[in-house]
Amino acid sequence: MMRSSALSLALGCVALGIAALVLFAAPLYYAWQVTIQDGRSEILQADALRLTDIYRREGGEGLKNFLDARVNMQIAGDRILLLTDASLQPLAGNLAAWPRALPATAGNYRIMVDMGRHGIQNSLVHVTRLGDYVLLVGRDNTLFAPLERRFWYGLIAAVAVLCIAGLLVGLITRRALMARVHSIRHTVSAIIHGDLKHRLPTDRSQDELSTLASTINGMLDQIEQLVHGVRNVSNSIAHDLRTPLAELRSRLEELALIRPPPEATFAEIDGAVADVDRVIRIFDALLRLAEIDAGLRRSGFVAFDLVDLAGTAVEFYAPAAELKNIRLLLHAEASLRVSGDPILLAQALSNLIDNALKYTPEHGTIDVALRRRTDGRAEIAVTDNGPGIDDSEKAKVVERFYRGDASRGTPGVGLGLSLAQAVAKLHGSALELSDRGPGLRVVLAMALCEAPPIPLAEARSSTLPEASAYPRVSKSTG
Amino acid sequence: MKILLVEDNERVSQFVVKGLHEAGHTTDHTANGRDGMFLAASEPYDVIIMDRMLPGEIDGLAIIEVLRKAGKRTPILILSALTEVDDRIRGLRSGGDDYLTKPFAFGELLARLDALHRRSQGVNREIPLTVGDLHMDPMTRKVTRGDRPITLQPREFKLLEYLMRHADQVVTRTMLLENVWDYHFDPQTNVVDVHISKLRQKIDAEFERPLLRTVRNAGYMVTAAD
Repeated sequence: MMRSSALSLALGCVALGIAALVLFAAPLYYAWQVTIQDGRSEILQADALRLTDIYRREGGEGLKNFLDARVNMQIAGDRILLLTDASLQPLAGNLAAWPRALPATAGNYRIMVDMGRHGIQNSLVHVTRLGDYVLLVGRDNTLFAPLERRFWYGLIAAVAVLCIAGLLVGLITRRALMARVHSIRHTVSAIIHGDLKHRLPTDRSQDELSTLASTINGMLDQIEQLVHGVRNVSNSIAHDLRTPLAELRSRLEELALIRPPPEATFAEIDGAVADVDRVIRIFDALLRLAEIDAGLRRSGFVAFDLVDLAGTAVEFYAPAAELKNIRLLLHAEASLRVSGDPILLAQALSNLIDNALKYTPEHGTIDVALRRRTDGRAEIAVTDNGPGIDDSEKAKVVERFYRGDASRGTPGVGLGLSLAQAVAKLHGSALELSDRGPGLRVVLAMALCEAPPIPLAEARSSTLPEASAYPRVSKSTG
Repeated sequence: MKILLVEDNERVSQFVVKGLHEAGHTTDHTANGRDGMFLAASEPYDVIIMDRMLPGEIDGLAIIEVLRKAGKRTPILILSALTEVDDRIRGLRSGGDDYLTKPFAFGELLARLDALHRRSQGVNREIPLTVGDLHMDPMTRKVTRGDRPITLQPREFKLLEYLMRHADQVVTRTMLLENVWDYHFDPQTNVVDVHISKLRQKIDAEFERPLLRTVRNAGYMVTAAD
């Protein structure tokens, strides 16, 4: 038979049951035997004492007469009585001869006694020496034998029932279990052979196997997504890294070929360095993403004020927004202490604002709003009134290197939203993208650090100074 | 400046030594951690450039730890191909003063070495700063150019203060991001340039001689020199 955990478990339970039965029955049986034995010995002793008294009072002849009278009165075969002389020749009693194996010294013995017509009995006997006489009193020991037999039969029956029930339960459980394990094995082997689409069957029972199955399904979802991601990334890397590398190559080749005057050469070299920097930037972004995806940065979680972080980011981008005549607003409570990685969150938020700045038209508005959610988390929402993203593209924009149609011709490597997405996941929830007709609203949520039931403080709305407060500036030459 | 370079990559060391020589610095170079430790402990350098991963049994961080325990306070710039944030934190925690990841631009390295050197000579946060006719008093937070007061936003003040503390030195965009905004990532767009041009508008626009200059392919510099 195959090794089966269900069966082993059932057999284990049976063994345990038997052990419990034995533990229960053995002391009982022992106590029972001891009590019976003790009682018998006492009765025999009392018998012997009484007869000894008669001997003392009436002498050997008197005792002989008493015994004869007693034997005639009692039920045949009930009690063993024998009086012999010093050479063990019977004088009175219901035994024909002194039992052969029995010594003639005083004491208690357990022997087989031939009772003539009543057969051979297993008896307990007591021997007493009275002057020249030897007295033997005894009783049949097999009186309780049927009771004892019933005890043993009962015990054996209980063990048998236990064994059969255990085996049956084990087999049935094993069958049920094997059916489900088989279906899991079937699915898993399909997955091993490369078809990641399969999922384990789950039911609503929420039992151990079902829970395990849904956990495994979750794992498979993640693996499928990763594999899919890796495939996409390798395709995208092929494209996005090849472009600057191709430019670099042709630039250098042209230099070697044409050998232009020094001034032009230096310009070309600067261009080549810029190409290399672009490649390095893509690599850095990819490495950062990989680092975040691996979840290694969770050790960098600290408690900090999200409002400070958002304030810095908004202030950082304010001049750039001003250049495009975009209103960049911050709406926040006085303070929101959250638990997270401030470096990564700053980068994610900066990517979101940067993204919004790219797609918001002149005189548009970008709103960065922080709030405490009812589910006990804090959120940053970056809302713009740019063209927004089609529903069909929403899932794709957070993919690595994906650049929507609208982004063609704008600078960037297409990793900004992916990084924000990875950071959001590291902080426990996916990036939420929604329409703000027209416009895009991106929400990043994270755990609050404290949860005191402070009534929502009057939302402090800090609006950056209007563009008129700043003198208009031209773009730096740097 | 007298500089020690501990770096095992021949190409990188050649490039750095040559560049530093052209910038007027004397450089000792060793590719070996053991020699590096010996030199760093015995010679009086102004700045040490330490590669993190060295051949042999001693790595860069271990050398830094030993030097710091021995009481050597020479500023150290860690050079590393490890870009993860945690690596950076580990590097700085072991006693390094700055961290630059490979590949790097030479201008960035030079600017950071200058900044480290200046920092090691002690900064008095209270002494007023002066570049040409531009004055800044960190205590009262007053800025004047000539006799005209200049009003700055807090972050603009911080930006100008950093530039003035490193007057006559190139300050890169990354250095500004790290020290003024505490941003340890590349925001991809030219936001720093926009901040600089706003600042320039305030301190230079109405004056004949510009003090805040752009250094091509490197960064910015506040200087009164021609």
